[in-house]
Amino acid sequence: MKRFLVIACLLSCAPLGAHDFWIEPSTFRPATGAMVMTTLLVGQQFVGDPIARDSSQIERFVVRDARGERNVAGFEGHNPAGIVRMENGTAAVVGYRSKPAFLSMPPEKFEQYLRDEGLDTVLAARTRRGESKQPSREIYSRCAKTLLGVRGDFSRPLGFRLELTPESLDASRVVVRLDYESHPLANALIIAMHRDDPSLRIRVRSDAHGRAAFSLPKPGVWMIKSVYMIDAPPASGAEWESLWASLTFEN
Amino acid sequence: MGEPVGFADVRKLALVLLLATTASAHEIGTTQIHALFRRDHTYAVTIRSVRKPASEKAFVYFDGVRASALTGDIPAHAHTFTFRYEGTFAKYTLTLQNEGSDSVTTQWLDAETTSNPFVLSRDVIPPTRFEVIRQYVALGFTHILPEGFDHILFVLGLFLLATSMRALLSQITAFTVAHSISLALTMYGVVSLPSRVVEPAIALSIACVAIENVITSRLHPWRVVVVFVFGLLHGMGFAGVLRELGLPRRQFVPALVSFNVGVEVGQLVVIAVAMLLFAQWLRNRRFVVACSVAIALTGLFWTVQRIAI
Repeated sequence: MKRFLVIACLLSCAPLGAHDFWIEPSTFRPATGAMVMTTLLVGQQFVGDPIARDSSQIERFVVRDARGERNVAGFEGHNPAGIVRMENGTAAVVGYRSKPAFLSMPPEKFEQYLRDEGLDTVLAARTRRGESKQPSREIYSRCAKTLLGVRGDFSRPLGFRLELTPESLDASRVVVRLDYESHPLANALIIAMHRDDPSLRIRVRSDAHGRAAFSLPKPGVWMIKSVYMIDAPPASGAEWESLWASLTFEN
Repeated sequence: MGEPVGFADVRKLALVLLLATTASAHEIGTTQIHALFRRDHTYAVTIRSVRKPASEKAFVYFDGVRASALTGDIPAHAHTFTFRYEGTFAKYTLTLQNEGSDSVTTQWLDAETTSNPFVLSRDVIPPTRFEVIRQYVALGFTHILPEGFDHILFVLGLFLLATSMRALLSQITAFTVAHSISLALTMYGVVSLPSRVVEPAIALSIACVAIENVITSRLHPWRVVVVFVFGLLHGMGFAGVLRELGLPRRQFVPALVSFNVGVEVGQLVVIAVAMLLFAQWLRNRRFVVACSVAIALTGLFWTVQRIAI
């Protein structure tokens, strides 16, 4: 495995308008038969606002356990957005994939967001195209996952367009793989943060196999996230398309 | 033949079609904010959120000028309200309502977006000082003419024993000073008598003045004292009406003074009209007695009626 660059740094304030998106279950350690409320959250620094269930925004909202995959139930317009019953054991992966939405930002904010998310190639492309002083026109979509239980097989991807998948996970270390359209994504910035200590951020670039390893200095709830940006499809009305992957779990 | 359509092209096409319907869609959060504009010219913005509401991140503007708090007085001359909330990361709902209006305006807003201007209804915008003065002078006046038939009869009772202009002025002045004092004291809550006592007493005061007109044709010194005491009762009666109408909290004194001025103007108009019509009859004792008896009977009838109620 390649050498990973690990940097723990103080949190820098990400701009409003480019928010993280993650899933928080009512418990990360459910018993068999338990009902787990899954809240969708949008926010910063692991502080988020719950998102009500909105079918028009859901492309896929599923739970996968030992027996297969099924849709996550929920009541339209309600928070929490999903209810999962642990039918088959105590381990499952819950995944949420949103439909794309449009976002526009002033140039300074957009470029700050690109810097914060390590999207240097997009920054360079904007400079090259002479767009640095222009407001952004972006479509974005979410690919969020959460791991329920400890002894599950979480290493199988759900098939999201951008996806973080844990290859190994124990109390002090996690190795994740970042896939874009089912292929490993190299040199992408992947950030891990702790819910109770959001000032602690661990930033790692993925290796050639899309892998990133994180030492987890303390137990608790963690979020690992990454943003990938590509040219938006023609006629979409946007220049860029971003995909936001997140993975939450408790070590 | 064109190039074969690959999976990526189909996917992009699907994305474009999807965006045609969802291009402006943002993640919808659960934060709800309600702004209510009341007829007492105050406003209140309440934030309902799963997380602790961040009131310091809520920005309230009237006509583009920032207000310091989420609740308070609507500024005078304000016409529009705008709002911004930076304590949320998702789209939230802002509902706005003028009190008394059935319609509630809803706006969906992003964290950094300022709402569209909400037009305040006339009922909730505080009147200017000039408007308050005009309103309350008119209210005071109409409380005498044409609505204050009991006060009119009392003033006419005083008029009938006006053996001279000086006699008339001394009675009117005593009445005015007395009811101004008791009106102010009652409105400030210094004195308070229930209306079931005040209203029959006012009616009885009318009868008393008229009966004295029948008994004597001279203006005795105690008459002015009696008129002063009765004036105190009438002032409490005015206060009862004024309390029902309400006084603007921020313009209490101008409204109170204006109401009193309106009452005075009303009384002076009554006397002026009486002078024009009946001045030459005042020395006719039969006329004075006949009118006074009629007033006394009316006063007694009202007294009984108001006690019965």
